[in-house]
Amino acid sequence: MPLHADRPGPPTPVPLLRMAGISKSFGRQQVLREVCFDLRPGEVHVLAGENGAGKSTLMKILGGVHTDYEGHLELRGRPVRFRSPRDAAAHGVAVIHQELSLVRDLSVEDNIFLGREQSTLGWLRRGPQRRRAIDVLALLGVRLDVRRPVGSFSIATQQLIEIAKALALEADLLVMDEPTSALQGPEVERLFACIAGLKARGCGIVYITHRMEEVYRLADRITVLRDGNHIGTSPTAELPAPLLVRQMVGRDLSPAAAASAPTAAEVRLRLDGFTLRSAAGAARPVVQDVSLELRSGEILGLAGLEGSGNSALLWGLFGAHDGPAAGSVLLDGRPYRPTSPRKAIRHGLALVTNDRQRTGLVPALSVARNFTLASLPQLSPGGWVNQTAEYRVAAALAQALGLRAASLRQPVSTLSGGNQQKVVLGKWLNRNPRVLLLDEPTRGVDVGAKQEIYALMRQWSAAGAAILLITSELPELLLLSDRILVLHRGQVAARFDRGDATPERILHAAMGGQLT
Amino acid sequence: MPPTVSNRSTCLMTIVAAVALIAAALSVTHADQSANRPQAKPPASQPPPARSYTIGMSQCNLGEPWRVQMNAEIKKAAEAHPNLKVVFKDAQNDTLKQRAHVEEFVSAKVDLIIISPKEAAPLTEPVAKAVAAGIPVIVLDRRVLGDQFTCFIGADNKLIGREAGKWIVKKLGGKGKVVELKGLMTSTPGQDRHTGFREGIKGSQIEIIFEADMKWLEPDARKEMESALARFDHIDLVYAHNDPGAHGAWLAAKAAGREKKIMFVGIDALPHEGVMYVKKGVLDATFEYPSGGREAIETALKILAGEKVPKEITLGSRLFTRENVDQGGEPLGPPAADERKPEPGAEPPPKSE
Amino acid sequence: MTFSPESRPRFAPAELIRQPAFTALLALVLVFVLGLLFSGDGAFYKWGTHRDALRQASVYGILACGMTVVIISAGIDLSVGSVLALVAVCFSLFGIHWQWPAYAAIPLCLLIGAACGVVSGGLAARFGIQPFVVTLAMMVFARGLAKTVSGGMKVSTAIRTADGDYSYVEVPDIFRAIDSRLLDGNLSVVSLIFLVCVVLSWLCLARLRWGRYLYAIGGNEPAARLSGVPVAAMKMLAYGLCGLFAAVAGICQAAQEQQGDPEAGVGYELNAIAIVVIGGTSLMGGRGGIGLTLLGTLIIGYIEKILSINAVPEASRLMLTGAIIVAAVLVQRRKA
Repeated sequence: MPLHADRPGPPTPVPLLRMAGISKSFGRQQVLREVCFDLRPGEVHVLAGENGAGKSTLMKILGGVHTDYEGHLELRGRPVRFRSPRDAAAHGVAVIHQELSLVRDLSVEDNIFLGREQSTLGWLRRGPQRRRAIDVLALLGVRLDVRRPVGSFSIATQQLIEIAKALALEADLLVMDEPTSALQGPEVERLFACIAGLKARGCGIVYITHRMEEVYRLADRITVLRDGNHIGTSPTAELPAPLLVRQMVGRDLSPAAAASAPTAAEVRLRLDGFTLRSAAGAARPVVQDVSLELRSGEILGLAGLEGSGNSALLWGLFGAHDGPAAGSVLLDGRPYRPTSPRKAIRHGLALVTNDRQRTGLVPALSVARNFTLASLPQLSPGGWVNQTAEYRVAAALAQALGLRAASLRQPVSTLSGGNQQKVVLGKWLNRNPRVLLLDEPTRGVDVGAKQEIYALMRQWSAAGAAILLITSELPELLLLSDRILVLHRGQVAARFDRGDATPERILHAAMGGQLT
Repeated sequence: MPPTVSNRSTCLMTIVAAVALIAAALSVTHADQSANRPQAKPPASQPPPARSYTIGMSQCNLGEPWRVQMNAEIKKAAEAHPNLKVVFKDAQNDTLKQRAHVEEFVSAKVDLIIISPKEAAPLTEPVAKAVAAGIPVIVLDRRVLGDQFTCFIGADNKLIGREAGKWIVKKLGGKGKVVELKGLMTSTPGQDRHTGFREGIKGSQIEIIFEADMKWLEPDARKEMESALARFDHIDLVYAHNDPGAHGAWLAAKAAGREKKIMFVGIDALPHEGVMYVKKGVLDATFEYPSGGREAIETALKILAGEKVPKEITLGSRLFTRENVDQGGEPLGPPAADERKPEPGAEPPPKSE
Repeated sequence: MTFSPESRPRFAPAELIRQPAFTALLALVLVFVLGLLFSGDGAFYKWGTHRDALRQASVYGILACGMTVVIISAGIDLSVGSVLALVAVCFSLFGIHWQWPAYAAIPLCLLIGAACGVVSGGLAARFGIQPFVVTLAMMVFARGLAKTVSGGMKVSTAIRTADGDYSYVEVPDIFRAIDSRLLDGNLSVVSLIFLVCVVLSWLCLARLRWGRYLYAIGGNEPAARLSGVPVAAMKMLAYGLCGLFAAVAGICQAAQEQQGDPEAGVGYELNAIAIVVIGGTSLMGGRGGIGLTLLGTLIIGYIEKILSINAVPEASRLMLTGAIIVAAVLVQRRKA
């Protein structure tokens, strides 16, 4: 139900930006559907939506990264179509990305002016450039030696430098994507002061954030996207938090009948004050003081948005996290220090990552070999691989998972996404893990395969495995989880039992809102 | 890329392997050092009778065994004269280092400099400066440009090639099928030994049935010889531009069972290589490419005694055959001094190896 | 779907043509045809020529076996030429100068080669230094060690005595044995050693679990690590094997020259890499195999032999060989 909230009021000036009817698909996946968005000079316009709603894609179109899309883009009243990020920058559009785009070994001043060095006939004018860099950083309240390499500063400072880079462009249209993800209190305040200054000068700012407090602190208007659709645009005053959340989630959910939650089963995994710090030494820990209990046969859902630390928690438990860990972990009642994946596997843990291409499968190897990759010691007594046993195991796994493939000897990269995910699951299944850590197990998987994977998960938990599940699809989370833990900025924000959880309450907690 | 923090056992294995390796190397080196490293201290038994002289010797590199031999000869010749002290410096094939060495000798005010330069042009000026500072300079084996030096002592590859050709003509009675295995043909010695040889066999009925560039390397010579053996059923003689090449060819012939029917001629005649091969009956003849170490010291003594020495001394070669090897070969004279015209700017020969 | 254990992959003819082994085999056949056409006065039709071509290529081939293992794990080893020289020098020292029996000299030499490899692999794995850099350093170090151990001179049957003279010894039996022929003079022992190395490395890569691990590491190291593969230990194993094969090559080289030359093997690592690449194994790691390397060795060996029996001048040889390498790699790039 789209809410058109443009009321008649004082005559609005010519919008800085107008995006109309924007549609984009990647292959067969439709990511944006006829989205409209506009930005006025001197306003902060928040773009809100769940993970995967299409916000980043929309901003990438604005920033010139995606050049094939349908729809219409108007900048200051004139139609434009950007050919490249450089083109967009030349038109006065500055994008501050979530992933830092700084070059670690170059100096701060070189990074700020990267690609737009002030030079006469190729000769760098260092003096004016350096002064400008210092000035721009001062706007953000940052004072440092601009000749030092960017990599020598903390992540928080690097994020401020990234912002300075955009400010130095003297653009009047800024896009900020989660600019405060690495920042703490005072730095955030300074950024907000800076934003106020930009507003006063007539710049327009698109602000993407998951944090409720920021939305209501900064936004003049809020646009909500959901599943690639434009749900509505309203002035902030007309969109209180619960309504915002409802728009973001919007579905009518019928929680499916689930198996009865086991109550008396033994505790497989217990965390007490589990903390993970980043290897780069950022001040704020990635996971902070998390305590939870996981019983055999139970599925515990971990909800959280970008930067909440839920993936890091799983990696940390598996011994694959780069930085130091603290706190107590008890596995089957015995203390357990996660130091390496090999150790984790020996103790009966299994991790299915959220990026099977990069960290889940070996693309060049065959399906059969991917199935057996984690189980080779058992299949190769004395080092000699028993090939018939290996193939038999792979065939059995393929059957159990309902794998659709022409042959088990073909490279796993030739399978569809859903089947690839089954191979990853099968690899771990073969080890009979006692604790399964699943990170987005149905990402990029078609509807049919999803149902099959749900069924498998229920089978495993019925057989006694304990499962920690991360999924950004709220319906899936509600469907599968016996209990839900919500993380926000590395800390536990809320705990729900099966009956209590609703999408709104989960999202509210994930965005840092206090529960009423 | 995070290091695997946990793998203590890996770390331990690495350290053990490294230590084992270094220990092995040190123990072997130790055992070998006494046998192989040339000492640089002259015997200091009695106080020098006459005035003692210091000679600075700048060698372009000690990677080529022939140059190690040159230094060894200089040392041996100097040892016979207790009033001579020779300081050796090795430039490790770096021209700039060699320049610095010459300048160091000049500052240290040595009495004489012997130099075997890496290249002619860059070393010309330091040598000229040394001469201008009153230090006589003997240039060995490779030339510098111009004439700002005291004496040049070198051998003549063309002469050696010619002598080899003449000897081969005599040995084969004027006709035969010969395989020529050439050294690196982009280097002057290779070219000289080739042209000299062709001059030497001119007018006879010697037929070069196969020639190949084996780049001074023994394994390459062996490969080329195998091809020649496969192609030709009848080969009379193999002329290789250096002894390792001739030896490689001999090994190929031996594997084919034809070594007794073919004669082998090489060049260099290092005592532990070419001369040994002749003694063992592998080579039929080898021609010495003299290093001139002994002559350098003799000339140095003359210069230091105030005598006049010729500007150019061309070293003669020696021929080693089975008949004369035990007597130390027979000398082949150089042409008279006025017959030889030095070619300015000719890149002097790097030693074959 | 059921997957019966006997189910074989179906290969359409188009599939077959895209297999790397097919292109390599095709290249070998083409080279062979070239040899038949330019037979050097009939030399190509004699068995001796082929036996010698195999002998010549064997040392490179042995190096290439070890190099294949390392390249499959997405690494590279530039030190094999220097390790060859080091072991050649050591083997000559042990065998000729010190008159050690073969059963003492050979294992120690193999150990020296393996140790060099393990050190390289350990540094690369433990400290995350790039294999290119680590093995480059080992290349320089091993060369220096070879020169130190040998005193800068070739270690040959002429032994320098204390008073600067030379005494001569006989070439040891083991040297002669390695440089001899079998089967009525039809196969060189060195070629046999090469074939044994091929079989051993094939067994390791295709039949042992450590080979599987290496393919996984080369194909996707983070995924392999997260699947419990002992990445650091496997890398040390791969480089250790490469060093071991370099030692075998060094022993063969010393036997064939009847001396240990500290300057031996210069540039051999590039030959080994060229063989692996021409065979079809990808430098990015994760695919390929020893069979391809065997084909690559034969291709390079025959090209060299054909150029040699036709007495092609050196400059032309270099250009032709360069052009052929580029052609071979281009042919393979058409496959995904």
